[in-house]
Amino acid sequence: MVKYTIKRILLMIFTLFVIMTMCFVLIKLLPLPAVKEMGKDINIILMKREQMGYGKPISVQYALFLKNVLTKWDWGVGEQMYETLSVWNVLMQKLPYTIIVNLYSILIAIPIGLAFGIYAALKKNKWQDHVISTAVMLFISVPSYVYAFLVQYFLCFKAGLFPITIPSSETTALFSFKMFISMMPAIMSLGFGVVAGLARYTRAELSEVLTGDYMLLARTKGLTKAQATARHAMRNAMVVILPMIIGEFIGIISGSLIIEKIFAIPGVGSLYISSINLRDYNFFMALTFFYTFIGLFSGIVMDISYGFIDPRIRMGAKK
Amino acid sequence: MKRMIAVFLALVMVFSMFALAACDTENPNPNPNENTETQPGNEPSEEPSENPSEEPGNEPETPAEDGVFNGVAGKDYSDEASYTFLDFIGGTTGLNWNPHSWETSDDSYVLGYISTALYDFVLNEDLSGYTIIPEAAADLPVDVTADYVGQYGIKEGESAKAWKIALNPLVTWSDGTKINAETYVYSMKQLLDPLAINRRADSFYSGEFEIVNAKAYFYNGKVSYSLAGDAAASALENDNLYLDLGFWGIVGAPDAEGNPAPQYVKVTDETLYRDEAVAEGEAEDWVSAKYLYDNYLAAGAPYESYAADYLYISQSLAPVTWDEVGIKALDEYTLLLVTANPIAEPAFYVPYNLSSPWLVKQDLYESCQTWYDADGNVVEPNAENAVSITNTYCTTVDNSVSFGPYDLTYYELDKQLTFTRNENWYGYSDGKHVGQYQTDKISCQVISEHKTALQAFLNGEVDSIGLDSTDLETYASSDRLIYEPQSYTTKISFNTNKEKLEAIGNNAVILTVKEFRQAFSLAIDREKFCAEYTAAHEPGYGLLNYMYCYNPFTGELYRDSEYAKKAIVDLYDIEYGDGKAYGDLDEAYDSITGYDPAKATELMNVAAQKATEDGLWDGSSDIILDFRVYSSDEIYVKMFNFFNDSIKAVCVGTPFEGKVSLQMTEDPDYYNTMYSGNATIIFTTWGGASMSPFTLLYQCYCDAADGSGNQMEVGFETEKVSVTINVSGQSITASLQDWAHWCNGDAVDAIDSKVGKFADHTYPERCEVFATLENTYLESFVTAPIYYRNTAALLTRKLEYATQDYIQIVGYGGLRYATYNYNDDEWASVKSGISY
Repeated sequence: MVKYTIKRILLMIFTLFVIMTMCFVLIKLLPLPAVKEMGKDINIILMKREQMGYGKPISVQYALFLKNVLTKWDWGVGEQMYETLSVWNVLMQKLPYTIIVNLYSILIAIPIGLAFGIYAALKKNKWQDHVISTAVMLFISVPSYVYAFLVQYFLCFKAGLFPITIPSSETTALFSFKMFISMMPAIMSLGFGVVAGLARYTRAELSEVLTGDYMLLARTKGLTKAQATARHAMRNAMVVILPMIIGEFIGIISGSLIIEKIFAIPGVGSLYISSINLRDYNFFMALTFFYTFIGLFSGIVMDISYGFIDPRIRMGAKK
Repeated sequence: MKRMIAVFLALVMVFSMFALAACDTENPNPNPNENTETQPGNEPSEEPSENPSEEPGNEPETPAEDGVFNGVAGKDYSDEASYTFLDFIGGTTGLNWNPHSWETSDDSYVLGYISTALYDFVLNEDLSGYTIIPEAAADLPVDVTADYVGQYGIKEGESAKAWKIALNPLVTWSDGTKINAETYVYSMKQLLDPLAINRRADSFYSGEFEIVNAKAYFYNGKVSYSLAGDAAASALENDNLYLDLGFWGIVGAPDAEGNPAPQYVKVTDETLYRDEAVAEGEAEDWVSAKYLYDNYLAAGAPYESYAADYLYISQSLAPVTWDEVGIKALDEYTLLLVTANPIAEPAFYVPYNLSSPWLVKQDLYESCQTWYDADGNVVEPNAENAVSITNTYCTTVDNSVSFGPYDLTYYELDKQLTFTRNENWYGYSDGKHVGQYQTDKISCQVISEHKTALQAFLNGEVDSIGLDSTDLETYASSDRLIYEPQSYTTKISFNTNKEKLEAIGNNAVILTVKEFRQAFSLAIDREKFCAEYTAAHEPGYGLLNYMYCYNPFTGELYRDSEYAKKAIVDLYDIEYGDGKAYGDLDEAYDSITGYDPAKATELMNVAAQKATEDGLWDGSSDIILDFRVYSSDEIYVKMFNFFNDSIKAVCVGTPFEGKVSLQMTEDPDYYNTMYSGNATIIFTTWGGASMSPFTLLYQCYCDAADGSGNQMEVGFETEKVSVTINVSGQSITASLQDWAHWCNGDAVDAIDSKVGKFADHTYPERCEVFATLENTYLESFVTAPIYYRNTAALLTRKLEYATQDYIQIVGYGGLRYATYNYNDDEWASVKSGISY
């Protein structure tokens, strides 16, 4: 297992390097927007570009970029957005909001989703299952921003149960109960989809597992239905469900552009798309690294997790 | 024991109170800004005492500033209650309020609160306009050009080039550090630092207010590029002609060795660059500047007429030392500014150009700098091998400092800005700001979603909200609705280049017939269009809207002038006077709607006949006019349908019936498509420079042949349109383009030799000339103004602006003059019940 993990990590580093190199070259190959700004001395922008090294060959630019990152962990400063601010610092400054909203959301959504899924599976083809399945379809089909608008309008604006936007850290600490309550509309908006998705997966997997022969054997051994479901059925069903849950946890860092916008959450949701639209190379590269690393790393974590959930799955074992 | 401690503490408290009172007596004014210019019987003086805090016995009074609005009579501006303005700004990608590199309006929003300009514009006494006041300056600028003859290139007899500015010694940084003339000089030096390449450096070397040698110092021998214009031919001979590769969209495209293409490349350069828009192996997959010039822009080439927009010359100014730059500290509180050219109407334009501060606090500024060498390594400040400097000044609370009425006390990236009173700001105690700044605190959220902001406004969490067209349906009748005009006019621009239109096909060449274009214009019901498809815009008929002020001293608006009205009345052939439909010019002007379907139909008949006779149309085939729009969003589709229906309606009963239609094409780059002559009809919008109306005609409407390419009416050759105008009793004939040049302040020998410079004439004379030119442009019907842009907003019931009439430059008076109906506590208890 250790050898396998090390091998995977080395492969991850290589893959990360290849992806980063490709992204750097490709984004630099895009033509720069021509400088034409009414009433401004266009030479200022040209000189600034020259100073930023835009005129150097791409290979030289990449070498300088790698040198700064590897020796100083310096991802540069914002050039077109968050100008002069450290790219990495901006990311780290905005990340907590995104993480905390998404974390609350999935921490609440996972047990609810699993509960609904288990209950629907146990009540398969009964009215309870039909009600849950219909609701699941509804919540999966409707995009989260629709909930967000509805939640904001009815619960925040009309009923006044929650504030319309989350407060700033000036008045409310990020890890406080008041902030948690303020985030509830966003948490709900993000959570509905997760609940529905998990409930559907859990129901589907559990329904299949519950009909397995070993379940019959477990019951004949004298286990109650609850014991058999919890100890045997759920464990097998989790082989499929757990990666989804891990995926949700990984997704917490990506943020939701629209939800963050609606509830005025200063998270990272819009950073990546803005960096591409505004052609901010440093932000683009830092974010590409960050998300690629998280994606690759989570792949390893997920693969390894299979072995823990189901001992029959051996990682890197030779035949 | 407890009782003893309690008694002891009580004694300590009592003693402390006496001690505090004693301190107050000894130093009645710990703030050195206070109690100045307040000696009984003294008029407000611009020569404050050396040490104002040592003038006991001066009872604070509040002498009102002459000619300036001094607040609402009877209003208590200094009560103990707290007043917070709840604001918001839209989505940001970080804020940078460094006065040397700020970029967006949100950046300047911060600067506006935390800084004080040398001069400012405030409401005048009767709220009918604005007036200029010295703020960080102690007095208006004094022309001392004669004292500097022989220096800074000033010649004998010249004037309006050197300005002595007495500074207000009460102005300090928020920590009490003084701001003097050296601060201004140091800040300017940093602004123009060649290594820093500050975005705002050009504020003082381009445009009318150019500080002598500022550009040369900033460029430090580097090459700069400017449009070649008439010098293109000689530049070609001297191998100094450059092509802007933006012409082909390949700036930054790699050459064979991976080097990115610069923006400007000599037209003789044969280096090939890969055009990613063309598949490898196909024609023009690799192109050079020479190829593009020879095949597209050279004389006789298909895009020759666009050469003026994309051909540049390079130049390099000889480097100068800092001592040669036209800014000096004459003494501690006197600044000298020397401009490269005389400033026209200096009483207005010198203060106007000095109404944006460039000050930075030296110790903080330098602590925010990082110096780099050529390889990107950090080096010591002022190191010889340093090639660039970055600066984080004014990007966080810690590296920000105020010298304005408010201080930034909290800033959370993309979330919140909080400003509180800068208690060290001299204006709170100098007696010259009576009736101003009732606001104690400004709490500004970042809310990028409009619906969220609207709900926050209705909940009393935001004090003002801009409305979109959907909102206006709900709040159109609200008594809290305010309109704010913008300087922009939106028009339909027609391509009238016959060759290009023939290449486009679909009988688009019909647009070369003036009567057709005129009919198109008259077919548009502008009032209906504005009401149904825009938020708050109003029908527009001229190139310039109601924002343009032609006399900066009186604030008179161009559009309200007799000449400007006549230009539009003549455009629509409306007669007035005795025995006519309208009694006078105003009545005739007010009657204009721009919509006359009957006349449009008549003109369509004429156009059809002309087009057939001239062989432009065969009389039976369909005429499909491509209408390019930015996107295919619902609103654009609705607008397009409106125009399409309008044009079809006026063709009924003419040979064009059932033949003419518009075709919508989504084109996010439609401006450039029109530049290249490949668009037929587009929406265009120009505005800005609302204090310089007479420059707009040249800069936006007449420069296709020799300017920066802002003219959208492709095919309309202003250099070939002859206009005769009577100026000062002399009838002068010149091309429309020459006239526009003249109005722009440029030298035009044909006109200058007869009547002198444009700036030598009175404002009414200038207005008359300009109105004639505007009418000439509009009479060609190469463009049809549709609406003047406005924004609509709802204002909270918590506060009132000083005036309900929008005033040029100062708007409704802003937060400076805002007064509150509710303090914070009162508002908290009533806000949920407020309706709009």
